[in-house]
Amino acid sequence: MDITPLYLSLKLAFYTTVILVITAAPLTYLLVYIRFAGKSFFEALLTLPMVLPPTVLGFYLLLIMTPQGNIGRFWKAVTGSPLIFTFAGIVVASLVYSLPFAIQPMKAAFEKIDRRLLESAYVLGLSPLAAFFKVIIPNALNGLAASAILVFIHTLGEFGVILMVGGSIPGETRVASIAIYEAVEALRYQDAAMMCLILVPISYLFLLAINRLTRKQIYGS
Amino acid sequence: MDLNISIRKKLPHFDLDVSFSCRESRLLVLVGPSGAGKTTIIRILAGLDRPDEGRIIYNGETWVDTDKKIFLPPQKRQVGYVFQEYTLFPHLTVAKNVAFAADNKGDVPSLLKRFNIWHLKDRKPDKISGGERQRCAICQALARRPRVLLMDEPFSALDAVTRQNLREEVQKLRRELSIPVIHVTHDISEALYLGDDVLPMVRGRIVRKWMVQFMLKGRPSEARLPESMEGYDSDDRRDLSVLYDSLEVMQ
Amino acid sequence: MRRFITTISIILFIITGFSASAFAGEKLLVAVAANFILPSEELTKIFQDRTGIVTEVTYTSTGKLYGQIVNGAPYDVFLSADEKRPDLLEKQGLSDKPFVYATGQVVVWTAEQTLCGATDWQSVVKNPRVLKIAIANTESAPYGTASMIALQRVGLWNALSEKYVFPQTIAQAFQYAETKSADVGFCAYSSALSDKGKKGCFYTVPEAPTIVQSACILKRTENRSAAEKYVEFIRSHEAQKIKEKYGYR
Repeated sequence: MDITPLYLSLKLAFYTTVILVITAAPLTYLLVYIRFAGKSFFEALLTLPMVLPPTVLGFYLLLIMTPQGNIGRFWKAVTGSPLIFTFAGIVVASLVYSLPFAIQPMKAAFEKIDRRLLESAYVLGLSPLAAFFKVIIPNALNGLAASAILVFIHTLGEFGVILMVGGSIPGETRVASIAIYEAVEALRYQDAAMMCLILVPISYLFLLAINRLTRKQIYGS
Repeated sequence: MDLNISIRKKLPHFDLDVSFSCRESRLLVLVGPSGAGKTTIIRILAGLDRPDEGRIIYNGETWVDTDKKIFLPPQKRQVGYVFQEYTLFPHLTVAKNVAFAADNKGDVPSLLKRFNIWHLKDRKPDKISGGERQRCAICQALARRPRVLLMDEPFSALDAVTRQNLREEVQKLRRELSIPVIHVTHDISEALYLGDDVLPMVRGRIVRKWMVQFMLKGRPSEARLPESMEGYDSDDRRDLSVLYDSLEVMQ
Repeated sequence: MRRFITTISIILFIITGFSASAFAGEKLLVAVAANFILPSEELTKIFQDRTGIVTEVTYTSTGKLYGQIVNGAPYDVFLSADEKRPDLLEKQGLSDKPFVYATGQVVVWTAEQTLCGATDWQSVVKNPRVLKIAIANTESAPYGTASMIALQRVGLWNALSEKYVFPQTIAQAFQYAETKSADVGFCAYSSALSDKGKKGCFYTVPEAPTIVQSACILKRTENRSAAEKYVEFIRSHEAQKIKEKYGYR
């Protein structure tokens, strides 16, 4: 059995998780602490990938990632290679697809922090940026961890979006979910079964980890 | 090193309108029923809130001037602020909390020892008592060598014995500090015990007129309404009765 | 009471409206290989108008359709893009004897004008400016298989592996090339002849085996007479003329 698809899925999940956790934190900060016009619209927009059918998301991503599309054109101009049908392309797609899953646990964790803690930090001389790193983050670690895990397993299961913008290139964009799909189509049921057998325990273990973390938040400390 | 404040702010149920000064080495108490606007004043002094109009000047330095659109952010005012609860960072030990914004980290041990919490220095806030937490909060505020110390009902959430102990600590502390200290409480006995200057507040205003009347009595149990209501307008009478009612509740 | 009757009537109306067979009598479900979309649409329309038999068609890759049929999908007729799969179905007792209904060709098609006018398809795919080549899934799309064979025959299959993109069907391969997501695509000849196809250019691929496409009636059909009428039409002289228009023989 070829394990490259599984390796690709894990690699995709890893990159997406790292990038998303880092970029979602300031976004979540914006949503929780800053008041600005049109905030609710902005927030709904960020949550959209969670409710749209993946094929709808995939369709729009396809449109903007092709060399004629806005993002595709920009990417080509900057890097010289196309965005669509590349590993970088499916990472971009995954970032959009999993964004709401990064934000939700973080938002819950940030909101739990008492404002007075932040105010105390300001009075003690910390700028909002310093307070973010020294007060908010250390007190939101559980939320950050839950975010990371959720994004990871959600990306492992990604299918519809990658099908549309990935191009199923072996070793580059043919992730496990696509490989399983193609194996079933080609009636290679054994290959499909083997890959599923490996994916299920991985996802399950991560879910257990989330459970532990969120329970600690409710009962512990 | 005087702190002068004159501000007005529209609040949900009344308008806040106060002017007073706090001189160095003096402890000024703002006392009154809850909801009178005392906390709002403290927050405005700290920079966590803004007045609709007014000025705050410390030692010639303008912190707030709504006419000139000056607003110094809290980070730059170098005040110490002790909240009623939740000041301490839960992820840090007592020692780290105090050292958090310390002007000179070397001050930390002496502060902790002075407030009798040296033995707790490696414990986290959730593992110490309420009184110990407030001691830590005071140390944290003092470590920064603040120019003004603000305390917002710091002992209200504690039991009577601890409250008394801490009051005595603050009384002792005051003699060593040369900075202005502003203390907020709803407890008249605390106000009388601690304050060099006591400003009763009701519904956003300082009610000075009968300050002398019952403050001079010295003890809250003897506080009573002035014999004659002559010379008091309807607002005063209303404020007075509110203050009187809150006294009743406290006794 | 009146409200109740109205509601029930509306519901019944909707239900029967959706099941066209209640009104039109016979209906047909046809599985058609993706490459044959365009001729199939025209043929189906004519057939439907003429006979009144409501004909619904599903288009996707041959491999997918075969898999569905083997797993019991309720198609009446199967138009494959190869001979292999209808033969397999016959062997498994799932279909009647297959017959050839069209032969197709693989071509290399591109929307990039700068790639037109080269000597042959090989120089096009070898061109360093060609970064992405769309080839339909080689397992489940016969046109994809044929493309792979052609590349293998000229010894380029491995050399160009960095460039391949594998859409699920041959129609998608054309879509990728047409939107310039892929620089070139191995497509069905009929795509090259379409309106969109005329905006680009194509090269014949003689090294690719001719795609012999056969069809069959599936034994599980419950609309045998309708199926037979359909097949008869597909094999007719009139249908032949239409297929030729789209590049099939």
